[in-house]
Amino acid sequence: MEKDARPNWDSPMQFVLACVSYAVGLGNVWRFPYLCQMHGGGGFLIPYFIMLLVEGVPLFYMELAIGQKMRLGSIGAWTAISPYLGGVGLASVVTSLYLCLYYNIINAWSFWYLFHSFQSVLPWAVCPINANRTAPIEECERASPTQYFFYRETLNISSTIEENGGIHTGQALCFLLTWVITYLCVVRGVQSTGKVVYFTATFPYVVLFIYLIRGFTLHGAVNGVKYMFTPKMDQLANPTTWINAATQIFFSLGLGFGSLIAFSSYNQYNNNFERQAITVSLINSGTSIFASIVTFAIYGFKATINYENCLERTRILLLNTFNLAEDTINMDNVFEWIEKLNATYPEQFNEIANDTGNCDLEKELATAVEGPGLAFIVYSEAITNMPLSQLWSVLYFIMLLLLGVGSMLGNITAIITPLQDFKAASLFLAGLVCLFCLLLGLGFTTTSGNYWFTIFNDYGATFSLLFIVLIEVITVSYIYGIKRFEKDIEDMLGHRPNWYWKIMWVAISPLLLIVLFVFYIVNYIMGGTPTYQAWDKEEVSFKTDKQTNRLTEGQTYADRHLTPPRSVVE
Amino acid sequence: MLDKILFLLCLASALADERCMPDTPHGFQVRLSIKTALGDEAYVWNENEMFLFRASLAFAMRNHMNGQQFEVSNIIVCNETMRVSFWFIVTSPLDTSQLIDQENVEAAIRQSRNRINSAFLLTDKTLEFVDILPTLATLYTHPTPPWLIVFGVVMGAVGAGIIIMLVSSVVQKKRKTNGKPQDKDDDEETRVKTVENGDAHDGVHNMSFSEDERFTKM
Repeated sequence: MEKDARPNWDSPMQFVLACVSYAVGLGNVWRFPYLCQMHGGGGFLIPYFIMLLVEGVPLFYMELAIGQKMRLGSIGAWTAISPYLGGVGLASVVTSLYLCLYYNIINAWSFWYLFHSFQSVLPWAVCPINANRTAPIEECERASPTQYFFYRETLNISSTIEENGGIHTGQALCFLLTWVITYLCVVRGVQSTGKVVYFTATFPYVVLFIYLIRGFTLHGAVNGVKYMFTPKMDQLANPTTWINAATQIFFSLGLGFGSLIAFSSYNQYNNNFERQAITVSLINSGTSIFASIVTFAIYGFKATINYENCLERTRILLLNTFNLAEDTINMDNVFEWIEKLNATYPEQFNEIANDTGNCDLEKELATAVEGPGLAFIVYSEAITNMPLSQLWSVLYFIMLLLLGVGSMLGNITAIITPLQDFKAASLFLAGLVCLFCLLLGLGFTTTSGNYWFTIFNDYGATFSLLFIVLIEVITVSYIYGIKRFEKDIEDMLGHRPNWYWKIMWVAISPLLLIVLFVFYIVNYIMGGTPTYQAWDKEEVSFKTDKQTNRLTEGQTYADRHLTPPRSVVE
Repeated sequence: MLDKILFLLCLASALADERCMPDTPHGFQVRLSIKTALGDEAYVWNENEMFLFRASLAFAMRNHMNGQQFEVSNIIVCNETMRVSFWFIVTSPLDTSQLIDQENVEAAIRQSRNRINSAFLLTDKTLEFVDILPTLATLYTHPTPPWLIVFGVVMGAVGAGIIIMLVSSVVQKKRKTNGKPQDKDDDEETRVKTVENGDAHDGVHNMSFSEDERFTKM
């Protein structure tokens, strides 16, 4: 028995589950439904699937092939391909390091919400009362309880990125817990990771399925699903739709981080990764669609509840202003009564005219949210309206945790594997990496931490990944040579890759990546001074267009749905 | 129903006090939403209910201003509507031409708000005293925040997992280093055994040889 034999996955199933767990992440839940809504509902599936076939699967296949052939992490693998291009591997490791620094803070938030779900009244369901016991706290009153809980009690957010307050102790504790768990999962390498992924890959589907059933039985859920799936085909003419589809596929599969190379380097030499690559990519896209059905059912429910609350408020207002008996107006004839009263008592009606008649179901459905805002604000608000909300809350946040931890495992492995290939690595390498990321990541638990998180999320890795993967595919196709690559695959699988794969690697995928890259550069240049949205305690709403100095950059929320760059949490 | 309301209005006008009017500086407006609160079990608002209201207000005033014996006649009601909303003012029991000022009335109502509400099976929201803010009940604050408890449990479990992992890896290492000298002894013994038996443990088992043995045994 060789002492230095490379550890292996216990079975090919572990490898597939590890890839699924890595690729299926938070972005499937909070980015894809948003894109679907912005780009014409069901029609978005067309560019999405075209990009999957043209860009996603070929690049995924390529990375798995490299890892399995070279049996080294990203640095070693690329150095073996061409000694001048070892830097590509190093770039992957650095990008993974950036991601590891800030990604775990999302898991810390999930833990925070999970722990707070074990109360009789969910803390984000009601506003806390002020010191006089006369009314709810003003900041909460002007915003909403869920927003208040997220921005004030979870983040304790400051009003600008320059104000660095202290560390939020609760956050820091949850952050520590997340890193300890991450360490526990990677401490024995693939032996431990391989066991953990059985759970992290499968349990989210259980929760999604439960939520699907719960979602469809909610009042008004069908409105949301109908709204989502009615295709608006005119969006297909918009080039942004295609760019967003390509970007989504690219970041969702987690290409360029070196995680796929690391995972496949632990495979048996003759493992059939071709079938696995197709399977994992299809599972990833299928999960996105599945999650967006659930999300839109929840949206429909939330919109219907808001609409009905609005109608109720209008009804009460009319009753009180015109002193009518309680049962004259009910939910169905609110609008008729508005017209009647406007006609009969115009002056009196004018006084309250601003507060009536602005209940619109379409408008409620059209509010699209993405990112942490969707996961932690919109979803938790919907949960408070469900019966037995503690149970749903616990299930939901466990699902978010598993999605996040699964992706985290991939990225940590992407750092540890290349370092372990250098035999000088110590026994405690995994622990050191986790400790390093923990200490630096504590900065995200400060009061301005969310703004730094936004910077890292938007700018930390997007550009670099596109560049890395572009160099990767050009290297494999031209520098290493497509013929050598073909032979390697034949050596491993027993058959040469199809003409389809070769055309993708040599021509189509590089071309597509160059187009994406150019688009990002143009956007970046034309974007002007970047701005970010800040939560101001006094004004309690998002201040837009807050100019910042050159050291701090961000992107306004308003700009996001028009133009990428996109966050890496996909 | 309609004639009852008419009767009420006549009664109200009979008891009309010019000082009681909408937006009076000495009184408050009250709004009841009985159907919203009770649905099918809603009771009909009639003069008996109004009597109960005036009596409970008198009770609240007695509680707040100790010693003064407020009667139902000290609570004057006007401008009743179909909404079930009306205005009221409070006169002093000692001198009916004097009105109790707003602050005292407000304080009295705040003090006994719960009792007034329960007399009518309503809540702060459905029995509204316009411009009197209800004293909101604060949520129960636990001595230890519950999230900290759950965190402690999870952290403890994870910590135990790490310790188990470290201990098991140390134990495995110890077994290996103890096992190696023992394995060497075992190897020597088996080698000796193989020499004694003449049986080859390594190498391919020779099929033809074994078949011959059987024949010869026979």
